[in-house]
Amino acid sequence: MKKLYLLFTLVLALVLSACGNSGTPEEGAESSEGSAATGGDASTVKLYAPFSGPDGENMKQIVEDYNGSQEETQVDLQIVPQTDYYTTLDLTLSGGGEGDQPDLMVMHGDQIQTYVENGSLQEVAPLLDGDLNEEDYHEKALTGAEHEGTLYGIPFDIHPLMYFWNKDLVEEAGYEPDFVPADRDEFVEMTQAVSDLGDDKHGFVVPTLWPQQFIFPTIVYQNGGQLIADGEVQYTSPEVTEAAQFLHDLIYEHQVSPTNVQQDGELTLFLQGSNAVMLNGPWMMNQLEESGLNYGVAPVPMLGTEQEAVFANSHNFVLPTTVEDEAKMTAIKDFLGYVAENSMEWAESGQAPAAKAVYESEEFQDMEFQSNVAEQFDYVQFAPEVADWGPVSDPLFQNLNEVLLDEKEVEPAMEDAQQASQSSLE
Amino acid sequence: MISSLKFKVIIMKKDENKLTSSLFIVPYLIMFVVFLIFPLAYGAYISMHEWSLIGGKGEFVGLANYMEILFSDGTSSNIFMNGLINTLIFVVLSVPALVVLALILALLLNSLPKRIQPFFRTVYFIPYSISVSIIAVIWLWMLDTNSGLVNQFLGNFGIGPIPWLTDTNYAWFSLVLATLWWTVGFNMIILINALNEVSEELYEAGSIDGASPWQKFVHITMPSIRPIMLFVVVTTTIASFNVYGQPYLMTRGGPGTSTEVLLMGIVRQAFELRDVGVASAMAVIMTLIIICISALQFKFLRNKEGV
Repeated sequence: MKKLYLLFTLVLALVLSACGNSGTPEEGAESSEGSAATGGDASTVKLYAPFSGPDGENMKQIVEDYNGSQEETQVDLQIVPQTDYYTTLDLTLSGGGEGDQPDLMVMHGDQIQTYVENGSLQEVAPLLDGDLNEEDYHEKALTGAEHEGTLYGIPFDIHPLMYFWNKDLVEEAGYEPDFVPADRDEFVEMTQAVSDLGDDKHGFVVPTLWPQQFIFPTIVYQNGGQLIADGEVQYTSPEVTEAAQFLHDLIYEHQVSPTNVQQDGELTLFLQGSNAVMLNGPWMMNQLEESGLNYGVAPVPMLGTEQEAVFANSHNFVLPTTVEDEAKMTAIKDFLGYVAENSMEWAESGQAPAAKAVYESEEFQDMEFQSNVAEQFDYVQFAPEVADWGPVSDPLFQNLNEVLLDEKEVEPAMEDAQQASQSSLE
Repeated sequence: MISSLKFKVIIMKKDENKLTSSLFIVPYLIMFVVFLIFPLAYGAYISMHEWSLIGGKGEFVGLANYMEILFSDGTSSNIFMNGLINTLIFVVLSVPALVVLALILALLLNSLPKRIQPFFRTVYFIPYSISVSIIAVIWLWMLDTNSGLVNQFLGNFGIGPIPWLTDTNYAWFSLVLATLWWTVGFNMIILINALNEVSEELYEAGSIDGASPWQKFVHITMPSIRPIMLFVVVTTTIASFNVYGQPYLMTRGGPGTSTEVLLMGIVRQAFELRDVGVASAMAVIMTLIIICISALQFKFLRNKEGV
């Protein structure tokens, strides 16, 4: 009998603890609703964002400052890790729990097409009515948030590819430490000079995987080419194949890069001080600052043959179709107006905000790193205007990977990629 | 009177025992149904519908998703077939290594003095408790072609640099190597326990009959641990089929798509292409393949045992 008692107590404890567990999130939800109740429901804006890195702190600060700056509206920031972000959005947008639906979301420019086409986003025109204007943002940032001429996002930042170089290595190779090549010839010449310093010194370690998703399109656009035009994949066009050939030649002909560079191999070598040039994004700022390297940052020089261009992605605030309430719209507008004026905090994360009030300010121009990011705004190029750019472009980067590992010739690789991308586009 | 009372007590005890044992099973049963049976059935249900991650459930399409995967020439079929072949390559390369090396380690450890055994057991088991993302990063750094520890060491002998992760053959070797280091300790622990269960008397009898160590191993050790071996082989095969983290983090499926395994393809189909219907069909086919292979292993290894 004693044993039975013991068992019952155990089961009871289990059941109770299970209830306790399931109770916790409910309590959490209640408390946030409770705080909402004090200001009325329409005045709480649920904002979803993917900033789970160090930039999350900057975003939290902006939201906190806003919440403290006025009484009417409270923004409830939900940070979801980048890797799960869009899956989480998909699930909440397709009918997650009532209270979980976001009122406002941060979305990458290259995802907007997808979400417009599946009917999850509404245009943001109703938000632009005098207090908030298109003219408050860089013109290019607006084109990055458009779909077939309609604006679906309020720009937050643009993050283009950047040129990072190791000043000590460049100096060792006989150049001024601040030297940035003006064109392709100067680039090849300088990187060769670094590679000539010794077996363990490399002019420009060419990545074979990420971030080619930014590097390769940059050169294609600099060549005056397109990846997709009018629904037709353009990988076999001379501008695209030339870009692939150039990257291949950097490794095997000019020999400014070692062969067989693996994932993040170029970054490891850059941080070790044996890679002179790295092309990567502004998100690298924190890591590079911590490394203590004597490095410089500049707009990407001309590596193509035709025109100034750089590939970029962007962060934008987008409105789900579920938001209809007038009062809620007003609250969202108020918050976005505040962000447009007060996103210097976002610049602290290394990003360049797309609001003129920020990037044109003296304080911003004095930031060496971030001002270089914004310098490229005028000629940024975004991902082609197609839904599902990620999966559509996978075959391109898989084939480019094989080209850069010298396992496949440029022509057949680009033909294979063209066929696969075209079929997944249709 | 006294005896009937005794009888009653016995009956009560029996009932109590039954109640007690069923209560112990209930929590497991609930977990089993909620976290295994239900998702399996739900997955099969999804696989017979057009089902988008964002649009939700579409119309019932029967086996059309399966047909598309198995008999069409589309993107999803390519993803599946390429992934299946690569997963089978990984299974064929990793399972024998994981089982044989675990057995060798177990035999070696068992022959060590009792006092230092726990130390080595722990050393070999520790990697198993580390998350795959950390394992992958450690090996990514060590195997880096141009700046990694391994190639620097080999360079001292004039070897290399070896493209550990960017050449298909080496890439498979590296993925198996990382997996070995990560999980071989688990199999080893199980086999050590199996070895300890083998009766000393059998070995003594063997010694009296003049059996060599090799003969003892073949005729005493192996038959005695066969049931546990079966368990190790089957669980290792299932685990190898489910490989995901190592290639996802170490090679990104490269060069090209030559190390892209089935789970990477299923994840891509479900979360990048948002096609949960076809992705579930892929998962169901994968489950069926695993069940078939496990059944074959059971049959093969059991028959040998003569049970």
